[in-house]
Amino acid sequence: MMDELDLLKKDWKSREKDLPRLSHDDIYKMIWKKSSSNIKWIFIISAIEFLVGILITVFYHPARDEFKLPQIVDIITKGSMIVAVYYMIRFYLNYKKVSAASTVKGLLDAIMKARKTVKTYIIIMMSLGGIASIIASVYTYINQKGGWESFNENAHTNDYLLIAMVAVIATVLVLGIFLLIYFLLYGILMKRLKNNYKEIKKIEV
Amino acid sequence: MTKELEHSFVTHLEKNQNIVHKVCRIYTNNEAAHNDLFQEITIQLWKAYPKFRGEAKFTTWMYRVALNTAITLYRKSKRSIQTQDFEGVSHKIKFEQYDDTEEQQLKLMYKAIKQLNDIDKALVFLYLEDKNYAEISDTLGISEVNARVKMNRIKTKLKTILNP
Repeated sequence: MMDELDLLKKDWKSREKDLPRLSHDDIYKMIWKKSSSNIKWIFIISAIEFLVGILITVFYHPARDEFKLPQIVDIITKGSMIVAVYYMIRFYLNYKKVSAASTVKGLLDAIMKARKTVKTYIIIMMSLGGIASIIASVYTYINQKGGWESFNENAHTNDYLLIAMVAVIATVLVLGIFLLIYFLLYGILMKRLKNNYKEIKKIEV
Repeated sequence: MTKELEHSFVTHLEKNQNIVHKVCRIYTNNEAAHNDLFQEITIQLWKAYPKFRGEAKFTTWMYRVALNTAITLYRKSKRSIQTQDFEGVSHKIKFEQYDDTEEQQLKLMYKAIKQLNDIDKALVFLYLEDKNYAEISDTLGISEVNARVKMNRIKTKLKTILNP
């Protein structure tokens, strides 16, 4: 038995040269795993956001019949769904890319790109939300005044100003809520990504 | 500060990475599992690094953290590791230029080691690494006597696995 174990010891040592060899960069990458987990969370949150969006449109119809919004709002809602799906896929691809990045430079690029994607996504979603809320508020206001024709007949400059104001206030409110949600959801992750990016950047030099 | 710490850590680890690879080799059976365990050990080492004050040798400390990580992970996924095949090991041995009996023996030995429990694997591993009982007891946090007794039991165990 002893002989066998010693034989094994010899073999064990002789196989040391076959061991894989990781570079300095490879090991650095492993301790930066946190970037990839942040980006994974971005993907997960976008998926949840999308699901919640679907659930709301499926189950929640705010008094559809008496309170009809123009079709364009509906189109924007559906459009934003498509945008959401598209970005969900992008977020997922970003996550894959960061996990697979094999060089420091590749990792930096991937993080940078991931941050950019999130920013574009937020800008697009907020613009869509803004446009929808302007249309909806103007439309609702005019409807309350008895429709476009009667409004147009009796309208003074003041009324047009009022409409503009209502639209602006409603939009600011909607966008404010959007911004708050996005800040809570993505802002923190984005900040962490930024910090990781800075740290890695320092080391790269 | 973080940067310096990271740099010294990575440099140390890069130089001594063979230890981690060897732990992975004892505890895993394929490349994917090997890489996963390597990464996990690296993260655990990095987390523990600020507490490493150079009281022990860096390599001794590495053996300890690496084995602890492997043992903990092994416990979590006991079944999946046990049911994996031994192809990787036996395949490699085929390329070595041993005579037939030696090769057969080695193949059986590696197979037998894979059947040991997590702690016993750690002991065999340290034994193969030429550690004496004082070092083994220090690394695994057991008494020297206990290490000796365990090692003798493992030898018996291996004997029964090899000659049923």
